[in-house]
Amino acid sequence: MSRQRSMEAIESSEFVTIGELVRLTTTRYSTLKFYTEEGMLPFEQAEENLTRRYRRESTVKRIALIKQLRSDGLSIPEVKKALGLEV
Amino acid sequence: MTEFTLAQGFSMIALNAQRSSHRTAVKQIALRSLAAAVVLECYLEGKLRAAADQGEDELELDSYLPGSGRSDYSSSETGEEAYQASVISWLRGGNPGRHGQLRWWLKRASSLSQRKLMHLEEVMTRSLMDLGAMEEIPHLLGCDMFFESSGVEVKEYRSKLPEYTRMAEGLRAEVLEDGPVSDEAICLLWLLRESGCLPDLFSYQELDQVAQRINELDVSSPLAHNLFWIRIGQGWGMTVKHFLQWKKAFVQTTVGRGMLFLFPLLERSQAVFIETEAWFANSQDRLDAVKQRLESQGHAFTVLREGESPTIKIDNLIYEAVPHLVTMRVPIQGVRLLPKRPL
Repeated sequence: MSRQRSMEAIESSEFVTIGELVRLTTTRYSTLKFYTEEGMLPFEQAEENLTRRYRRESTVKRIALIKQLRSDGLSIPEVKKALGLEV
Repeated sequence: MTEFTLAQGFSMIALNAQRSSHRTAVKQIALRSLAAAVVLECYLEGKLRAAADQGEDELELDSYLPGSGRSDYSSSETGEEAYQASVISWLRGGNPGRHGQLRWWLKRASSLSQRKLMHLEEVMTRSLMDLGAMEEIPHLLGCDMFFESSGVEVKEYRSKLPEYTRMAEGLRAEVLEDGPVSDEAICLLWLLRESGCLPDLFSYQELDQVAQRINELDVSSPLAHNLFWIRIGQGWGMTVKHFLQWKKAFVQTTVGRGMLFLFPLLERSQAVFIETEAWFANSQDRLDAVKQRLESQGHAFTVLREGESPTIKIDNLIYEAVPHLVTMRVPIQGVRLLPKRPL
């Protein structure tokens, strides 16, 4: 049986899954998936079919930054520009 | 950040937007699955385990659990222990050595009497309210002239948005994303299927992916293989639930809205009538009457557009206040609040 990791375990680990990011940041899954596909959330993946792993600390900070920029009224292309990504 | 147990997480999804003060068919289905959720929670926590000398499939409850006569736990009235204790004592039914397969325990839990299920609802919602994850808010139907004048209070449960998002979106991520699925997610998925709540969380396109995922899990996870073949959903109850869901969706279409205006009984909770004090009231008087009623019942609202038929956002849903007249012994003027499709 594989049990769900506790919040304590998630908060102390280096890498997290997208589901755990949802729990950490209270952001919708579809939103995080969209950000990932737009290249706004960097991740690591050992092989194509394996789970995407995100660096917890930097990703949580980046999600907070994206949320801040969005609430300041920036569109997604503008947010990407602000993050130094190609639009 | 509060961690919720399986049963608490399921309650936050299944009881959200259900009437708290009335016994409805949909709530009844949710409560039956909630009792099964408590059994699964005990199973995951190892409190429901293989019975000695009975083979691996035969399970029995730990004799030192709350709800047994030999309990070492303090009998608190709220929290995890309280709802587990209630369900365990009902399932044991005075026989501590009772054992059976997981299917048997789940079936037994889901067929508890209505009185016991209502008690479980009370204990569970109280535990969630204590954790600040759920609240009881007034239902819009309480504003209706017939309900208001008879003094009938209509309330509903509302899960707090951040907690609900964490729970529901966490499950969505785990199920829709590639990678391993935890036992909690498997159990939650099964509970949602049995209570007919899957369409509340997944779109029609996503439901196909969910079905695929269930098939994959059936092969890769022994728990899923065991669980997904068990059915506790009662055919008649599920038919009623699907019909009610269809009816609610129908009255939000253009044709349905017209039908609802002519036949408010079609979906009573979506055709609230609020009377005006004065005869031949103008649009402003009508709007004032609506505002006054909503305020008195404790609803949060914003008038989005004034005019002959104002548009009002009430508790995050958008309604149109259409002038209407009902004929009792005397005709009564007022407005009918009809759901409006998203702007």
